[in-house]
Amino acid sequence: MAANPAVLSAEAHRRHRSGIREGSRVVDAVIILITAVICFITLYPMLYVLFMSLSSVEHVLAMDVYFYPKGFQLNSYRLICADNAMWKAYGNTLIYTASATVLQIVTCCLGAYPLTVSYLKGRKILTLFILIPMYFGGGMIPTYILVSKLGLYNTMWAIIIPSAVSIWNMILVRTYFAGLPDAMRESAFIDGANHFQVLFRIYLPLSKPILAVIAIYAIVGMWNSWFSAQIYLPNADLHPLQMYLQRVLVQQTVDLQKLTFQEYEEAVEKMFSAMQLKYSMIIFTTLPIIFSYPFFQKYFIKGIMVGSLKG
Amino acid sequence: MVHYFCNQQNDFVEYVSFCGGIRPENEERVWFPLDHKVCEKELRPHFGSKSGKKQKSLLQKLTGSKAKEQYQLYLIMAPVLIHIFIFCYVPLYGILIAFQNYAPGAPFLAFDGSVQWVGLKWFREFITGRYFWRLMRNTVVMSLMNLVLGFPLPIIFALLLNEVKFPRYKKFVQTASYLPHCLSVVVVAGMVLSFVDTQGIINNVRAAVGMAPISFSVDPDYFWAIYTITSIWKSFGWNSILYLSAMSSIDICLYEAARLDGANRFKQMLYVTLPGILPTISLMLIFAVGGILSSNTELILLLYNPATYEKADVIGTYVYRDGLQGGRFSFGSAVGVFTNVINFALVYGANLFARKFGGNSVW
Repeated sequence: MAANPAVLSAEAHRRHRSGIREGSRVVDAVIILITAVICFITLYPMLYVLFMSLSSVEHVLAMDVYFYPKGFQLNSYRLICADNAMWKAYGNTLIYTASATVLQIVTCCLGAYPLTVSYLKGRKILTLFILIPMYFGGGMIPTYILVSKLGLYNTMWAIIIPSAVSIWNMILVRTYFAGLPDAMRESAFIDGANHFQVLFRIYLPLSKPILAVIAIYAIVGMWNSWFSAQIYLPNADLHPLQMYLQRVLVQQTVDLQKLTFQEYEEAVEKMFSAMQLKYSMIIFTTLPIIFSYPFFQKYFIKGIMVGSLKG
Repeated sequence: MVHYFCNQQNDFVEYVSFCGGIRPENEERVWFPLDHKVCEKELRPHFGSKSGKKQKSLLQKLTGSKAKEQYQLYLIMAPVLIHIFIFCYVPLYGILIAFQNYAPGAPFLAFDGSVQWVGLKWFREFITGRYFWRLMRNTVVMSLMNLVLGFPLPIIFALLLNEVKFPRYKKFVQTASYLPHCLSVVVVAGMVLSFVDTQGIINNVRAAVGMAPISFSVDPDYFWAIYTITSIWKSFGWNSILYLSAMSSIDICLYEAARLDGANRFKQMLYVTLPGILPTISLMLIFAVGGILSSNTELILLLYNPATYEKADVIGTYVYRDGLQGGRFSFGSAVGVFTNVINFALVYGANLFARKFGGNSVW
């Protein structure tokens, strides 16, 4: 069992590959240069925002910050941390994200498991029932009317309940479940288990990788979502972070200057420090995503792989 | 025909047949042969027999009646099915209001005669309305710009990245390229708006080389460019992942053969890598074509303002502004139905085309 010839030959091929595809060094250099430029274009806007938020007011005013923060300071962060509305929105987002993530994991498992049982009666019809909404939807307005009629309008439930089931994620879990051997379920039945026990005590512990993928999709999706709050939540106390950001960054209806201290008197200065505050706000609200990004990204790719298997 | 029993740890027993070509993957398991007659008769009575599916397996005998099992499975699924029914099918049914004179607060379909059916009135009103051509132009132009510029870019990027020989550098570039995907639309729109501001970095650079400042955000002529660049920046890295994973599954032997036939690196890329990812490209193109009438409404809502409506207003934003905020529910749904029907027709057409000429289709 130890020496698998197939594995060995693949290894040999891989070692061979660098020899096979050896081109000129110039081509290599050009490719690396182009990808480096692309990489720079992708990252620079983020870095610029970061540098501006860390620079001192004089340099922000002079607009001479380009590649590193000048006159390092954290005042702008101190100012935005004093904003109670932002903390309120932060808390709301945590509630929405946590509840939607937990609910999605539970519903994905519940919905996916029966679809992998080959002798489930009406399996094809049920699969169709689940797939149709991926292609056809009622659209914004009928959904809005429905949510209002259910009495969810302007409550936290308007965000949480509709996002409790994600059909796409459910199909990812179904694909994963279908890859687990049937024999495992059969042997559990021989030991006297029922479907609930099989799902929760055998399938769930074995599905941690795919559940991690789903949790990450749900977390990033909920953290970044704002449109449903825009539609369903007129009450600013219930707004998630992204709605607050939208008011600050896009509509500019939140006056950040009221937070600033007496030292910025002149009008121009006020405008520029407002810009810096916006940049600090962007960094501060994106931090959780950026920090967890290195952990997330391998699962991101995994999710795409499982999804593409199905297609 | 030899059968093996695998006893992994303690809980469950896995039953594998070697004759079917299935190999044990995990070598830590302990394998020992079983008397195959016992296996066939007791564990899988239908094993090897052609009418296998019709016979009752040992498993079904052990768990009692089949009805009880079905009942359990339906019970597990029920919450999800109910949720999908309420939040996906009821709105689908609510499309009926596109053909009614719907009053806010009324049910989608009442049987007491209070429903005023108006046929295709709202569709006519939309198509003959004063904004129709403006909306169609903006939607189609922005989608086409996104398609023509934004569709090949991830493919080219993936092809380039595939040629990079340093694994760590490759991984870094790839990771960096899809970072914008994780940023929220609000943050991206906020960044873009502040960059193109009269006091923003772009005008600052323009001033440095002696050009007059332009207020990009209120000038309609720049909106299409701003929107296209922003949405490509946000999505190209993410879209390239699929192509890269398709490339990694291309058989190495093909490159070797091409090399023996004298293909250089560029030709290998052209004649091996590109055909290898063609099925993926064709699938993605079908979906992209199907989205022509649905541009990225969220991003546009955040980027536009009344000054740029002339070039920025698309069907999605119009439905939001006029239908939802303006309270014209029936009209808004009619516009939504109109878009969906055309989008579906486009997907269907693209799929038909792909099936006829390329052989790679969604269904």
